[in-house]
Amino acid sequence: MSRTLVVAEAALRELLRRRTVLVILLLMPLAFYLSRRGDFLGQSIRFVCLGLAWALSTAALFAGSAARGMEPRLRLSGYGSRHLVLGRLLALWTVGVLLSTPYFLLVLADQRDVRYGAIALIMALTVFVSVPFGLLLSAVLPRELEGTLVLLTVVGLQMVMDPAGSATRALPFWFSRELATYAVDHTDGGYLVRGLTHGLVFAVALTVLVVVAAAVRLRQRRHLRLAT
Amino acid sequence: MNHEPWLAALTGELRRHGVGPDLTGHVVAEAATHLLDSGESPLRVFGAPETYARAVVDSLGGPDVRPPRRQPGPVRLAARGVTKRYRGRTVLDRVDLTVRAGQIAAVVGANGAGKSTFLRICAGLLSPEAGTVEVHGTLGYCPQDGGTAEFLSPDEHFVLIGAGRGLGRTAARRAGRAEAAGLEWTPPRRTQARHLSGGTRQKLNLVLARLGEPDVLLLDEPYQGFDRGTYLDFWHEVWRWRDAGKAVVVVTHLLNQLDRVDVVLDLSGERNA
Repeated sequence: MSRTLVVAEAALRELLRRRTVLVILLLMPLAFYLSRRGDFLGQSIRFVCLGLAWALSTAALFAGSAARGMEPRLRLSGYGSRHLVLGRLLALWTVGVLLSTPYFLLVLADQRDVRYGAIALIMALTVFVSVPFGLLLSAVLPRELEGTLVLLTVVGLQMVMDPAGSATRALPFWFSRELATYAVDHTDGGYLVRGLTHGLVFAVALTVLVVVAAAVRLRQRRHLRLAT
Repeated sequence: MNHEPWLAALTGELRRHGVGPDLTGHVVAEAATHLLDSGESPLRVFGAPETYARAVVDSLGGPDVRPPRRQPGPVRLAARGVTKRYRGRTVLDRVDLTVRAGQIAAVVGANGAGKSTFLRICAGLLSPEAGTVEVHGTLGYCPQDGGTAEFLSPDEHFVLIGAGRGLGRTAARRAGRAEAAGLEWTPPRRTQARHLSGGTRQKLNLVLARLGEPDVLLLDEPYQGFDRGTYLDFWHEVWRWRDAGKAVVVVTHLLNQLDRVDVVLDLSGERNA
Protein backbone atom coordinates (compact mmCIF):
# COMPACT_ATOMS: atom_id res chain seq x y z
CA MET A 1 0.00 0.00 0.00
CA SER A 2 2.81 2.41 0.85
CA ARG A 3 4.31 2.05 -2.63
CA THR A 4 0.91 2.83 -4.15
CA LEU A 5 0.65 5.92 -1.97
CA VAL A 6 4.15 7.10 -2.95
CA VAL A 7 3.21 6.79 -6.64
CA ALA A 8 -0.08 8.60 -5.97
CA GLU A 9 1.73 11.39 -4.15
CA ALA A 10 4.26 11.84 -6.96
CA ALA A 11 1.51 11.80 -9.60
CA LEU A 12 -0.52 14.33 -7.64
CA ARG A 13 2.49 16.63 -7.27
CA GLU A 14 3.13 16.43 -11.01
CA LEU A 15 -0.48 17.29 -11.81
CA LEU A 16 -0.75 20.13 -9.31
CA ARG A 17 2.42 21.74 -10.65
CA ARG A 18 0.93 22.13 -14.13
CA ARG A 19 -0.81 25.29 -13.10
CA THR A 20 -1.95 26.45 -16.53
CA VAL A 21 -3.40 23.04 -17.22
CA LEU A 22 -5.20 23.11 -13.89
CA VAL A 23 -6.77 26.49 -14.63
CA ILE A 24 -7.98 25.29 -18.03
CA LEU A 25 -9.30 22.07 -16.47
CA LEU A 26 -11.17 24.08 -13.91
CA LEU A 27 -12.67 26.50 -16.41
CA MET A 28 -13.66 24.01 -19.12
CA PRO A 29 -16.75 22.63 -17.31
CA LEU A 30 -17.74 26.19 -16.40
CA ALA A 31 -17.79 27.13 -20.08
CA PHE A 32 -20.03 24.10 -20.74
CA TYR A 33 -22.32 25.10 -17.87
CA LEU A 34 -22.67 28.72 -18.89
CA SER A 35 -23.23 27.85 -22.55
CA ARG A 36 -26.61 26.27 -21.71
CA ARG A 37 -27.59 28.04 -18.55
CA GLY A 38 -29.95 30.44 -20.31
CA ASP A 39 -32.21 28.03 -22.23
CA PHE A 40 -32.98 24.95 -20.19
CA LEU A 41 -32.30 24.07 -16.58
CA GLY A 42 -31.40 20.43 -17.12
CA GLN A 43 -29.17 21.00 -20.12
CA SER A 44 -26.70 23.11 -18.14
CA ILE A 45 -26.36 20.27 -15.61
CA ARG A 46 -25.88 17.66 -18.33
CA PHE A 47 -23.33 19.86 -20.04
CA VAL A 48 -21.32 20.63 -16.92
CA CYS A 49 -21.04 16.88 -16.29
CA LEU A 50 -19.86 16.30 -19.85
CA GLY A 51 -17.39 19.16 -19.41
CA LEU A 52 -16.05 17.46 -16.28
CA ALA A 53 -15.83 14.16 -18.10
CA TRP A 54 -13.91 15.74 -20.96
CA ALA A 55 -11.55 17.66 -18.68
CA LEU A 56 -10.76 14.66 -16.49
CA SER A 57 -10.35 12.21 -19.36
CA THR A 58 -7.94 14.61 -21.04
CA ALA A 59 -5.97 15.08 -17.82
CA ALA A 60 -5.77 11.30 -17.37
CA LEU A 61 -4.75 10.80 -21.01
CA PHE A 62 -1.85 13.24 -20.72
CA ALA A 63 -0.83 12.02 -17.25
CA GLY A 64 -0.76 8.44 -18.57
CA SER A 65 1.31 9.42 -21.61
CA ALA A 66 3.76 11.45 -19.52
CA ALA A 67 4.27 8.50 -17.16
CA ARG A 68 5.25 6.05 -19.90
CA GLY A 69 8.92 7.10 -19.88
CA MET A 70 9.26 6.65 -16.15
CA GLU A 71 7.23 3.48 -15.62
CA PRO A 72 9.76 0.90 -16.90
CA ARG A 73 12.35 2.37 -14.53
CA LEU A 74 9.89 2.23 -11.63
CA ARG A 75 9.04 -1.36 -12.51
CA LEU A 76 12.74 -2.26 -12.43
CA SER A 77 13.07 -0.46 -9.11
CA GLY A 78 10.73 -2.91 -7.45
CA TYR A 79 7.23 -1.60 -8.17
CA GLY A 80 4.54 -3.93 -9.41
CA SER A 81 2.35 -2.72 -12.26
CA ARG A 82 -0.57 -2.65 -9.79
CA HIS A 83 1.27 -0.10 -7.62
CA LEU A 84 1.81 2.14 -10.62
CA VAL A 85 -1.75 1.94 -11.95
CA LEU A 86 -3.52 2.19 -8.63
CA GLY A 87 -1.30 5.05 -7.51
CA ARG A 88 -2.05 7.01 -10.66
CA LEU A 89 -5.77 6.23 -10.45
CA LEU A 90 -5.80 7.39 -6.85
CA ALA A 91 -4.10 10.69 -7.75
CA LEU A 92 -6.42 11.36 -10.67
CA TRP A 93 -9.55 10.41 -8.73
CA THR A 94 -8.46 12.89 -6.04
CA VAL A 95 -8.05 15.59 -8.68
CA GLY A 96 -11.48 14.62 -10.04
CA VAL A 97 -13.13 15.02 -6.66
CA LEU A 98 -11.39 18.37 -6.13
CA LEU A 99 -12.49 19.51 -9.58
CA SER A 100 -16.10 18.36 -9.19
CA THR A 101 -16.75 19.80 -5.76
CA PRO A 102 -16.96 23.48 -6.81
CA TYR A 103 -19.34 22.53 -9.63
CA PHE A 104 -21.57 20.62 -7.25
CA LEU A 105 -21.61 23.69 -5.02
CA LEU A 106 -22.41 25.83 -8.06
CA VAL A 107 -25.41 23.66 -8.93
CA LEU A 108 -26.44 23.72 -5.29
CA ALA A 109 -26.42 27.52 -5.28
CA ASP A 110 -27.71 28.14 -8.79
CA GLN A 111 -30.38 25.48 -9.40
CA ARG A 112 -33.67 24.93 -7.63
CA ASP A 113 -36.03 21.99 -7.50
CA VAL A 114 -33.52 19.34 -8.58
CA ARG A 115 -32.41 16.12 -6.87
CA TYR A 116 -29.02 17.16 -5.53
CA GLY A 117 -28.11 13.65 -4.42
CA ALA A 118 -28.52 12.38 -7.98
CA ILE A 119 -26.34 15.22 -9.28
CA ALA A 120 -23.63 14.30 -6.76
CA LEU A 121 -23.96 10.72 -8.01
CA ILE A 122 -23.47 11.80 -11.64
CA MET A 123 -20.36 13.73 -10.71
CA ALA A 124 -18.94 10.85 -8.65
CA LEU A 125 -19.55 8.38 -11.50
CA THR A 126 -18.09 10.87 -13.98
CA VAL A 127 -14.88 10.94 -11.93
CA PHE A 128 -14.74 7.14 -11.68
CA VAL A 129 -15.41 6.62 -15.40
CA SER A 130 -13.44 9.42 -17.03
CA VAL A 131 -10.13 8.77 -15.22
CA PRO A 132 -9.72 5.12 -16.29
CA PHE A 133 -11.13 6.04 -19.71
CA GLY A 134 -8.33 8.60 -20.25
CA LEU A 135 -5.70 6.23 -18.86
CA LEU A 136 -6.93 3.43 -21.11
CA LEU A 137 -6.65 5.67 -24.16
CA SER A 138 -3.07 6.55 -23.17
CA ALA A 139 -2.31 2.83 -22.81
CA VAL A 140 -3.79 1.87 -26.16
CA LEU A 141 -2.72 4.95 -28.12
CA PRO A 142 0.77 5.94 -27.06
CA ARG A 143 0.74 9.21 -29.02
CA GLU A 144 -1.17 11.96 -27.25
CA LEU A 145 -2.63 13.47 -30.44
CA GLU A 146 -4.30 10.19 -31.40
CA GLY A 147 -5.75 9.81 -27.91
CA THR A 148 -7.01 13.38 -27.91
CA LEU A 149 -8.76 12.87 -31.26
CA VAL A 150 -10.52 9.75 -29.98
CA LEU A 151 -11.56 11.64 -26.88
CA LEU A 152 -12.94 14.47 -28.99
CA THR A 153 -14.90 11.98 -31.05
CA VAL A 154 -16.40 10.23 -28.02
CA VAL A 155 -17.45 13.39 -26.21
CA GLY A 156 -18.69 14.95 -29.46
CA LEU A 157 -20.80 11.86 -30.17
CA GLN A 158 -22.09 11.94 -26.63
CA MET A 159 -23.41 15.43 -27.30
CA VAL A 160 -24.91 14.99 -30.76
CA MET A 161 -26.31 11.44 -30.75
CA ASP A 162 -29.91 10.82 -29.79
CA PRO A 163 -29.66 9.71 -26.15
CA ALA A 164 -32.75 7.53 -26.54
CA GLY A 165 -31.05 5.41 -29.22
CA SER A 166 -29.55 2.15 -28.06
CA ALA A 167 -26.20 2.87 -29.76
CA THR A 168 -25.47 5.70 -27.34
CA ARG A 169 -25.38 3.21 -24.49
CA ALA A 170 -22.05 2.06 -25.82
CA LEU A 171 -20.62 5.50 -25.02
CA PRO A 172 -19.00 5.78 -21.58
CA PHE A 173 -20.88 8.84 -20.36
CA TRP A 174 -24.44 7.85 -21.33
CA PHE A 175 -25.26 7.37 -17.65
CA SER A 176 -25.02 11.11 -17.03
CA ARG A 177 -27.97 11.74 -19.35
CA GLU A 178 -30.15 9.17 -17.59
CA LEU A 179 -29.24 10.37 -14.13
CA ALA A 180 -29.61 14.03 -15.10
CA THR A 181 -33.13 13.31 -16.39
CA TYR A 182 -33.91 11.66 -13.06
CA ALA A 183 -32.42 14.60 -11.15
CA VAL A 184 -33.96 17.43 -13.15
CA ASP A 185 -37.26 16.10 -14.50
CA HIS A 186 -38.09 14.05 -11.38
CA THR A 187 -38.75 10.95 -13.44
CA ASP A 188 -39.27 7.49 -11.99
CA GLY A 189 -36.55 5.34 -10.45
CA GLY A 190 -35.95 3.46 -13.71
CA TYR A 191 -33.73 6.29 -14.93
CA LEU A 192 -31.76 6.12 -11.69
CA VAL A 193 -31.26 2.36 -11.92
CA ARG A 194 -30.30 2.43 -15.62
CA GLY A 195 -27.90 5.34 -15.12
CA LEU A 196 -26.33 3.90 -12.01
CA THR A 197 -25.90 0.46 -13.58
CA HIS A 198 -24.38 1.91 -16.76
CA GLY A 199 -21.98 4.14 -14.83
CA LEU A 200 -20.87 1.38 -12.45
CA VAL A 201 -20.38 -1.14 -15.25
CA PHE A 202 -18.24 1.32 -17.23
CA ALA A 203 -16.27 2.42 -14.16
CA VAL A 204 -15.44 -1.17 -13.19
CA ALA A 205 -14.81 -2.38 -16.75
CA LEU A 206 -12.55 0.54 -17.65
CA THR A 207 -10.59 0.24 -14.39
CA VAL A 208 -10.08 -3.49 -14.95
CA LEU A 209 -8.97 -2.85 -18.53
CA VAL A 210 -6.46 -0.21 -17.39
CA VAL A 211 -5.00 -2.61 -14.80
CA VAL A 212 -4.79 -5.43 -17.37
CA ALA A 213 -3.21 -3.15 -20.03
CA ALA A 214 -0.53 -2.02 -17.55
CA ALA A 215 0.12 -5.59 -16.42
CA VAL A 216 0.65 -6.66 -20.03
CA ARG A 217 2.81 -3.66 -20.99
CA LEU A 218 4.98 -3.81 -17.86
CA ARG A 219 5.14 -7.61 -17.56
CA GLN A 220 8.39 -9.36 -16.86
CA ARG A 221 9.54 -10.65 -20.24
CA ARG A 222 9.91 -14.36 -20.64
CA HIS A 223 13.54 -14.26 -21.77
CA LEU A 224 14.62 -12.60 -18.49
CA ARG A 225 15.26 -14.82 -15.49
CA LEU A 226 15.78 -12.96 -12.27
CA ALA A 227 17.44 -14.88 -9.46
CA THR A 228 17.71 -12.59 -6.45
CA MET B 1 37.47 31.37 7.75
CA ASN B 2 35.56 28.45 6.16
CA HIS B 3 37.98 26.37 4.10
CA GLU B 4 35.53 23.55 3.37
CA PRO B 5 34.52 24.62 -0.17
CA TRP B 6 38.16 24.93 -1.20
CA LEU B 7 39.03 21.56 0.38
CA ALA B 8 36.04 19.91 -1.30
CA ALA B 9 37.12 21.36 -4.63
CA LEU B 10 40.66 20.09 -4.05
CA THR B 11 39.30 16.60 -3.26
CA GLY B 12 37.38 16.61 -6.54
CA GLU B 13 40.35 17.84 -8.55
CA LEU B 14 42.70 15.22 -7.06
CA ARG B 15 40.22 12.50 -7.92
CA ARG B 16 39.88 13.83 -11.44
CA HIS B 17 43.63 13.69 -11.79
CA GLY B 18 43.54 10.04 -10.86
CA VAL B 19 44.96 10.33 -7.35
CA GLY B 20 43.81 7.38 -5.22
CA PRO B 21 41.48 7.85 -2.23
CA ASP B 22 44.16 7.24 0.43
CA LEU B 23 46.58 9.75 -0.98
CA THR B 24 43.77 12.25 -1.62
CA GLY B 25 42.69 12.00 2.00
CA HIS B 26 46.27 12.51 3.15
CA VAL B 27 46.88 15.58 0.93
CA VAL B 28 43.58 17.17 1.89
CA ALA B 29 44.09 16.52 5.62
CA GLU B 30 47.55 18.03 5.42
CA ALA B 31 46.26 21.11 3.63
CA ALA B 32 43.41 21.47 6.15
CA THR B 33 45.83 21.32 9.08
CA HIS B 34 48.08 23.90 7.50
CA LEU B 35 45.18 26.25 6.84
CA LEU B 36 43.88 25.84 10.37
CA ASP B 37 47.26 26.58 11.88
CA SER B 38 48.09 29.52 9.66
CA GLY B 39 44.59 31.01 9.49
CA GLU B 40 45.38 32.18 5.96
CA SER B 41 43.26 32.04 2.83
CA PRO B 42 43.73 28.76 0.88
CA LEU B 43 43.86 30.68 -2.38
CA ARG B 44 46.77 32.70 -1.04
CA VAL B 45 48.62 29.69 0.37
CA PHE B 46 47.95 27.04 -2.28
CA GLY B 47 46.32 28.87 -5.18
CA ALA B 48 43.30 27.51 -7.09
CA PRO B 49 42.34 23.89 -6.21
CA GLU B 50 42.99 22.74 -9.78
CA THR B 51 46.46 24.32 -9.84
CA TYR B 52 47.41 22.78 -6.51
CA ALA B 53 46.05 19.36 -7.51
CA ARG B 54 48.13 19.49 -10.70
CA ALA B 55 51.22 20.41 -8.68
CA VAL B 56 50.60 17.44 -6.36
CA VAL B 57 50.20 15.08 -9.32
CA ASP B 58 53.36 16.42 -10.97
CA SER B 59 55.30 15.88 -7.76
CA LEU B 60 54.11 12.26 -7.71
CA GLY B 61 55.31 11.67 -11.27
CA GLY B 62 51.84 11.15 -12.80
CA PRO B 63 48.45 9.89 -11.73
CA ASP B 64 47.70 6.36 -10.57
CA VAL B 65 44.90 6.07 -13.06
CA ARG B 66 44.31 2.36 -12.75
CA PRO B 67 42.57 1.30 -9.62
CA PRO B 68 43.65 -2.11 -8.34
CA ARG B 69 41.62 -4.91 -9.86
CA ARG B 70 40.32 -7.70 -7.77
CA GLN B 71 39.40 -11.24 -8.58
CA PRO B 72 35.93 -11.24 -10.17
CA GLY B 73 33.11 -12.91 -8.24
CA PRO B 74 30.14 -15.05 -9.31
CA VAL B 75 28.26 -14.50 -12.56
CA ARG B 76 25.77 -11.64 -12.21
CA LEU B 77 24.54 -11.32 -15.78
CA ALA B 78 24.56 -13.96 -18.48
CA ALA B 79 23.07 -13.20 -21.90
CA ARG B 80 22.95 -16.17 -24.25
CA GLY B 81 22.17 -16.18 -27.97
CA VAL B 82 20.29 -12.87 -27.92
CA THR B 83 18.79 -12.23 -31.34
CA LYS B 84 16.69 -9.23 -32.31
CA ARG B 85 15.23 -8.23 -35.66
CA TYR B 86 13.59 -4.97 -36.67
CA ARG B 87 11.46 -5.03 -39.84
CA GLY B 88 13.33 -7.97 -41.28
CA ARG B 89 16.77 -6.59 -40.44
CA THR B 90 18.80 -8.52 -37.89
CA VAL B 91 20.16 -6.05 -35.36
CA LEU B 92 21.52 -8.54 -32.86
CA ASP B 93 22.61 -11.99 -33.98
CA ARG B 94 23.15 -14.60 -31.24
CA VAL B 95 24.93 -12.20 -28.92
CA ASP B 96 26.49 -13.59 -25.73
CA LEU B 97 27.75 -11.64 -22.74
CA THR B 98 28.79 -12.77 -19.27
CA VAL B 99 29.56 -10.26 -16.55
CA ARG B 100 30.70 -11.24 -13.08
CA ALA B 101 30.57 -9.39 -9.79
CA GLY B 102 33.44 -6.90 -9.77
CA GLN B 103 33.62 -6.53 -13.54
CA ILE B 104 32.89 -3.74 -15.99
CA ALA B 105 31.65 -4.66 -19.45
CA ALA B 106 31.65 -2.11 -22.25
CA VAL B 107 29.18 -2.53 -25.10
CA VAL B 108 30.55 -0.76 -28.16
CA GLY B 109 29.59 -0.44 -31.80
CA ALA B 110 28.58 2.04 -34.45
CA ASN B 111 25.28 3.93 -34.44
CA GLY B 112 22.46 1.49 -35.09
CA ALA B 113 24.56 -1.52 -34.08
CA GLY B 114 21.98 -2.42 -31.44
CA LYS B 115 23.80 -1.32 -28.28
CA SER B 116 20.76 0.28 -26.62
CA THR B 117 18.52 -2.51 -27.88
CA PHE B 118 20.81 -5.08 -26.26
CA LEU B 119 20.75 -3.20 -22.96
CA ARG B 120 16.96 -2.89 -23.05
CA ILE B 121 16.73 -6.63 -23.62
CA CYS B 122 19.08 -7.21 -20.67
CA ALA B 123 16.85 -4.95 -18.55
CA GLY B 124 13.77 -6.91 -19.65
CA LEU B 125 12.18 -3.89 -21.31
CA LEU B 126 12.23 -5.44 -24.75
CA SER B 127 11.73 -9.02 -25.87
CA PRO B 128 14.25 -10.65 -28.20
CA GLU B 129 13.31 -13.06 -30.99
CA ALA B 130 15.61 -15.61 -29.36
CA GLY B 131 17.95 -15.92 -26.43
CA THR B 132 17.83 -15.61 -22.66
CA VAL B 133 19.18 -13.26 -20.03
CA GLU B 134 19.88 -14.42 -16.50
CA VAL B 135 20.39 -11.83 -13.79
CA HIS B 136 21.61 -12.87 -10.35
CA GLY B 137 20.77 -10.05 -7.96
CA THR B 138 18.99 -6.74 -8.24
CA LEU B 139 19.02 -4.66 -11.40
CA GLY B 140 19.57 -0.93 -11.93
CA TYR B 141 19.08 0.70 -15.32
CA CYS B 142 20.04 4.14 -16.58
CA PRO B 143 18.37 4.88 -19.95
CA GLN B 144 20.02 7.03 -22.59
CA ASP B 145 17.31 9.66 -22.22
CA GLY B 146 14.07 10.04 -20.31
CA GLY B 147 13.75 8.12 -17.10
CA THR B 148 12.99 11.24 -15.08
CA ALA B 149 9.73 13.04 -14.33
CA GLU B 150 9.64 16.64 -15.57
CA PHE B 151 7.73 18.12 -12.65
CA LEU B 152 9.47 16.39 -9.74
CA SER B 153 12.55 17.64 -7.86
CA PRO B 154 15.64 15.40 -7.44
CA ASP B 155 14.68 14.64 -3.81
CA GLU B 156 11.18 13.60 -4.91
CA HIS B 157 12.77 11.32 -7.50
CA PHE B 158 14.92 9.74 -4.79
CA VAL B 159 11.85 9.11 -2.62
CA LEU B 160 9.88 7.67 -5.54
CA ILE B 161 12.58 5.27 -6.75
CA GLY B 162 13.74 4.56 -3.21
CA ALA B 163 10.27 3.40 -2.14
CA GLY B 164 10.41 0.76 -4.88
CA ARG B 165 13.74 -0.42 -3.47
CA GLY B 166 12.29 -0.56 0.02
CA LEU B 167 13.95 2.62 1.29
CA GLY B 168 12.12 5.08 3.55
CA ARG B 169 11.92 8.75 2.64
CA THR B 170 14.87 9.95 4.70
CA ALA B 171 17.06 6.99 3.74
CA ALA B 172 16.23 7.46 0.04
CA ARG B 173 17.06 11.17 0.13
CA ARG B 174 20.28 10.50 1.99
CA ALA B 175 21.29 7.73 -0.41
CA GLY B 176 20.48 9.89 -3.45
CA ARG B 177 22.45 12.84 -2.14
CA ALA B 178 25.41 10.61 -1.27
CA GLU B 179 25.45 9.18 -4.81
CA ALA B 180 25.12 12.68 -6.27
CA ALA B 181 28.13 13.82 -4.23
CA GLY B 182 30.19 11.17 -6.03
CA LEU B 183 29.50 13.11 -9.23
CA GLU B 184 30.34 16.43 -7.55
CA TRP B 185 26.66 17.39 -7.64
CA THR B 186 24.55 18.85 -4.85
CA PRO B 187 20.93 18.39 -5.95
CA PRO B 188 18.90 21.60 -5.53
CA ARG B 189 16.01 21.08 -3.12
CA ARG B 190 13.15 22.66 -5.04
CA THR B 191 14.24 22.72 -8.68
CA GLN B 192 12.11 20.47 -10.87
CA ALA B 193 13.84 18.13 -13.31
CA ARG B 194 12.60 20.12 -16.32
CA HIS B 195 14.65 23.11 -15.13
CA LEU B 196 17.91 21.13 -14.83
CA SER B 197 20.50 21.32 -17.60
CA GLY B 198 20.91 18.28 -19.86
CA GLY B 199 24.08 17.13 -18.10
CA THR B 200 22.64 17.63 -14.63
CA ARG B 201 19.53 15.76 -15.59
CA GLN B 202 21.70 12.91 -16.75
CA LYS B 203 23.45 12.94 -13.36
CA LEU B 204 20.04 12.56 -11.77
CA ASN B 205 19.31 9.70 -14.15
CA LEU B 206 22.53 7.97 -13.13
CA VAL B 207 21.95 8.52 -9.41
CA LEU B 208 18.48 6.99 -9.73
CA ALA B 209 19.97 3.87 -11.33
CA ARG B 210 22.30 3.51 -8.35
CA LEU B 211 19.69 3.96 -5.62
CA GLY B 212 19.44 0.90 -3.43
CA GLU B 213 22.86 -0.24 -4.68
CA PRO B 214 21.70 -2.85 -7.20
CA ASP B 215 24.03 -5.76 -7.96
CA VAL B 216 23.90 -5.27 -11.73
CA LEU B 217 24.03 -1.83 -13.32
CA LEU B 218 23.04 -1.28 -16.93
CA LEU B 219 24.15 2.15 -18.12
CA ASP B 220 23.18 3.35 -21.60
CA GLU B 221 25.65 6.14 -22.51
CA PRO B 222 24.96 7.79 -19.17
CA TYR B 223 27.54 10.55 -19.56
CA GLN B 224 25.79 12.48 -22.35
CA GLY B 225 25.98 16.18 -21.58
CA PHE B 226 28.65 15.71 -18.89
CA ASP B 227 31.52 18.17 -18.83
CA ARG B 228 35.06 16.79 -18.77
CA GLY B 229 35.34 16.84 -14.98
CA THR B 230 32.03 15.03 -14.46
CA TYR B 231 32.96 12.52 -17.15
CA LEU B 232 36.14 11.64 -15.23
CA ASP B 233 34.15 11.55 -11.98
CA PHE B 234 31.75 9.15 -13.67
CA TRP B 235 34.50 6.68 -14.56
CA HIS B 236 35.96 6.92 -11.08
CA GLU B 237 32.53 6.07 -9.72
CA VAL B 238 32.25 3.10 -12.10
CA TRP B 239 35.58 1.78 -10.88
CA ARG B 240 34.47 2.28 -7.30
CA TRP B 241 31.28 0.28 -7.97
CA ARG B 242 33.36 -2.46 -9.54
CA ASP B 243 35.63 -2.53 -6.49
CA ALA B 244 32.50 -2.85 -4.34
CA GLY B 245 31.64 -6.04 -6.22
CA LYS B 246 29.02 -4.68 -8.61
CA ALA B 247 28.66 -5.87 -12.19
CA VAL B 248 28.51 -2.86 -14.51
CA VAL B 249 27.53 -2.86 -18.18
CA VAL B 250 28.19 0.45 -19.98
CA VAL B 251 27.13 1.26 -23.50
CA THR B 252 29.81 3.55 -24.89
CA HIS B 253 31.20 4.81 -28.14
CA LEU B 254 34.20 6.43 -26.46
CA LEU B 255 36.88 3.86 -27.15
CA ASN B 256 39.58 5.53 -25.04
CA GLN B 257 38.05 3.94 -21.92
CA LEU B 258 38.17 0.39 -23.22
CA ASP B 259 41.53 -0.42 -21.67
CA ARG B 260 39.99 0.29 -18.27
CA VAL B 261 37.16 -2.23 -18.52
CA ASP B 262 37.21 -5.98 -18.07
CA VAL B 263 34.97 -7.22 -20.87
CA VAL B 264 34.28 -5.70 -24.29
CA LEU B 265 31.24 -6.61 -26.36
CA ASP B 266 31.72 -5.21 -29.84
CA LEU B 267 28.44 -5.22 -31.72
CA SER B 268 29.84 -3.73 -34.92
CA GLY B 269 31.71 -6.92 -35.85
CA GLU B 270 31.98 -10.52 -34.84
CA ARG B 271 34.22 -9.91 -31.83
CA ASN B 272 32.12 -10.92 -28.87
CA ALA B 273 33.83 -11.33 -25.50
